[in-house]
Amino acid sequence: MAMTTSKPSGGAMFSRASFRQLILILCLALLVVLTLVPILFMFYSSLKSNSQILGSFWSLPSPPQWENYAEAFSSIWRYVVNTILYSAGASTTVVCLSAVSGYLFAKKEFPGKEFLFILLLAMMMVPAVLTLIPAYVWYEKLGLTNTPLAIIIAHAAGGQIFGTFLCRTSMEGVPSSLFEAARIDGAKEWTVFARIVLPLSVPILATIFIMQAVGTYNDYVWPLLTIRDSSMQMVGVGLTQFTKQFGITDKGVQFAAYTISSLPLILVFSFGMKYYIQGMAQGALKM
Amino acid sequence: MRNGWKLGLASLGLFVLLAPMNVSAQENWTLDQGKAVTSLSLSADGSKLAVGSYDAHAYVFDQEGKKIADIEAKNVVTGVSVIGNEKLLVSSDDRRLYAYDLNGNPLWELNLKKRVEGVSASTDGSIAAVTVQNSPDLLLIDTASGKVKGKTELGFRVEDAAVAPNGKFIAVGGKDQNAYLMDGQGNLLYKIGIDGTISSIAVTGEGEIVVGLTTPRLIVLNAKGEVVRTVDVLDSVKDVDVTADGRTIGAADYSGNFYLISDKGKVLWKTQVNAPATQLAFDSEAGNLYGGTENGQIHHYSVESVVKGAESAARKALYVNASIAAGLLIALAVLLLVLKKYDRLSVFRRIWKAKWIYLSLFPAFFLLIGFLYVPAFSGLYHSLYDWNPGGRSTYVGLANFRRMLEDEYVTKGIANLGILIVTGLIKAIVPPFIVAELIYHLKSKRLQYYFRTAFVASMVIPIVAMLLIWQNLYDPNVGLINHFLDAIGLGSLSHAWLGDPKTALWSVLFIGFPFVGILQLLVLYSGLLGISEELVEAAKMDGAKFRRIVWSIHLPLLSGQFKFLIILTLIGVIQDFNAILIVTGGGPMDSTYVPALQMYYAATKFDQLGYASALGVSMFFVILLITVINMKFLRSSRD
Repeated sequence: MAMTTSKPSGGAMFSRASFRQLILILCLALLVVLTLVPILFMFYSSLKSNSQILGSFWSLPSPPQWENYAEAFSSIWRYVVNTILYSAGASTTVVCLSAVSGYLFAKKEFPGKEFLFILLLAMMMVPAVLTLIPAYVWYEKLGLTNTPLAIIIAHAAGGQIFGTFLCRTSMEGVPSSLFEAARIDGAKEWTVFARIVLPLSVPILATIFIMQAVGTYNDYVWPLLTIRDSSMQMVGVGLTQFTKQFGITDKGVQFAAYTISSLPLILVFSFGMKYYIQGMAQGALKM
Repeated sequence: MRNGWKLGLASLGLFVLLAPMNVSAQENWTLDQGKAVTSLSLSADGSKLAVGSYDAHAYVFDQEGKKIADIEAKNVVTGVSVIGNEKLLVSSDDRRLYAYDLNGNPLWELNLKKRVEGVSASTDGSIAAVTVQNSPDLLLIDTASGKVKGKTELGFRVEDAAVAPNGKFIAVGGKDQNAYLMDGQGNLLYKIGIDGTISSIAVTGEGEIVVGLTTPRLIVLNAKGEVVRTVDVLDSVKDVDVTADGRTIGAADYSGNFYLISDKGKVLWKTQVNAPATQLAFDSEAGNLYGGTENGQIHHYSVESVVKGAESAARKALYVNASIAAGLLIALAVLLLVLKKYDRLSVFRRIWKAKWIYLSLFPAFFLLIGFLYVPAFSGLYHSLYDWNPGGRSTYVGLANFRRMLEDEYVTKGIANLGILIVTGLIKAIVPPFIVAELIYHLKSKRLQYYFRTAFVASMVIPIVAMLLIWQNLYDPNVGLINHFLDAIGLGSLSHAWLGDPKTALWSVLFIGFPFVGILQLLVLYSGLLGISEELVEAAKMDGAKFRRIVWSIHLPLLSGQFKFLIILTLIGVIQDFNAILIVTGGGPMDSTYVPALQMYYAATKFDQLGYASALGVSMFFVILLITVINMKFLRSSRD
């Protein structure tokens, strides 16, 4: 501030630059608000009753209808719990498979290695749209439809490809001398993997876990096709069938249900946002 | 090279042998009043078909559907049964049982005082069984004189009764979930409980019974009353029939499927018509099959070739498998010889040494092959078929693909997809790039971090919830968008956004405004961070302005990122139908259809899995083309 008074010309420069910064900030703030409008609208409406939404659209929810949340929770908690369990199951499987395959492809030599890896990668090029319907028929034939396995297997099979790919790249970066030293000390293959490779790979495994969990949590068409029992259904389908299933026409309760359905993701992102962003960036770089 | 040639030959042989057989020439016709077909019966020589209908008529047709006789009853005709090649028995809700010759001349009639619910007679006319309303008895009629000859007390009401063509057995399905078998004189041989509600019954000359249930299931019992097998079909069974020798079973279900099933329980042939099926009948060799529906259609299928072909197909399949096995053995031998010649047999030792590695990789590749490769190849293969899982799939060549070109929903979908792709590309590139530039030009690192996080925060809402929220924003009454327009004085613009075919697609496109995609933003932002400061500083030294820096430095240096985003968007937009399925379901009318949605509907609503696979395969090839072009393009631009 002292500079502005002593050097008027410099002060003009400074204020012009900061004026520019202010414009930038305002533009960004506007865009952030616009991006978040649906979320704000959701939260705002979740505390209103139907008559409050219809009658006084813009006014604050008064009194706030907290009981909307109780009603919404009692209808969708089952879906949310199911989805969390499926996501956890699929992500754990993906992490285990990717860690093992990634390590073997990164650090081991065996006949047919490149062929197997290409077999794996080739599936990345095959879009879900080709396999969706035949996969449904196949799962039906195997008797897997309408069981949690339909969701977990499908996500584990699909997710491990990208997971293995990420793990291979990451584990190739671990210097082999580390393993050799351990092996000379008489460590078994399994010990090397569990004591050296896994601890070094925690960040990449966390990335894979979180990306997979979020992906499974957001699934819609596959459970819609394969799960028929309401008691096993996932949250995405559950939300769309909300009105049909429970005869709930209260908009406020519906919005409350949307809010509740985001809680697990809020939890995941508050701990793992960093890993998720890394995963996205890595995926983008490697493609 | 040599083994490749052998394999090629083997697979060529496979294709030749699996070529489709001649399935069915079919005719169909509809009864004058279009009322439900209540019963069907064929003459012994198969040349004439008697039809009973809800419109209180019984008809006699020849094989081509030419009407020979038209018999009028005073109420719904409940059953018809042809005796030999001459006589026809007709039961009706008008409480009478009639006998006619096949030209429609009356022979006798019998007043039974109660609604007659059905009739079934043996081929030689020695015996006819009749069931009447609310009666626990089965009446046996002398077909020559039209007198009641005897009755069997069952103790429970009858759902359906059938007499074997040779007159030696009578089978009855009771409403009490019991099946009864009697000899030709009406003496009870056995009574057995059935696990389900019986809808219809049929019996062979050897006393084998086929029972259709109201659940999608048939049960076959032998003459001793033991369950021989159960066969599952797709919907509630409406009628069953069986040939005199018991070799072929026919069934009709509520979804309009007709089935021919072998005595081993294998579905030999299946077809679907567009109305619930009510009846079916076939002649003694099962060469001609007739099916009746709830809206008065009669379908005639010549299925002789199928039934006969099934055995030869099984033989052919054996040959194919044997020749494939032989081919593989030869290929293996050749491979071993080649390896030996070049002294490469040590590969087996290395494979053996690495056995733990293969074992560890096994779960991953089991999932990969079992649950990704199998469906992918199944889709490619079945796109050439009229695909009926559990039934018989018919090879149709490229018919599914030709049909796609004529499907109005697909053509409309492709036009919509064009709009979605163009706007999708703009949405994926322009707003994220602007935001990335804005954030990049912020001086404060902390602010950069805050804004980046703020944009990413929108991801905490599950995608489905976000789509449903947008659906609510568009709501004509309680939606934010109309209320906002009202508030700023543009109330005249308010609209049923998703309900109007003119605005629906654009409303779907607008979902996600202002389109700051997180992946796109992060890719471009980290791209900008990767551009060396010196380059920008040098340009600034040369007096380059902000706009010039963006235009001449940022844009060209981000071209890799842009290409990546373009490909990703193309692939994503072609495949994605979640948003449309949830928000509009393709409507109103066909205004928001896309090919992927039509694929989903073909499979789920219309059960046309072959067609759905063909749509999937087409989209796969388009995406493959884009990927291949991209790889070439990227490589050449890197060189």
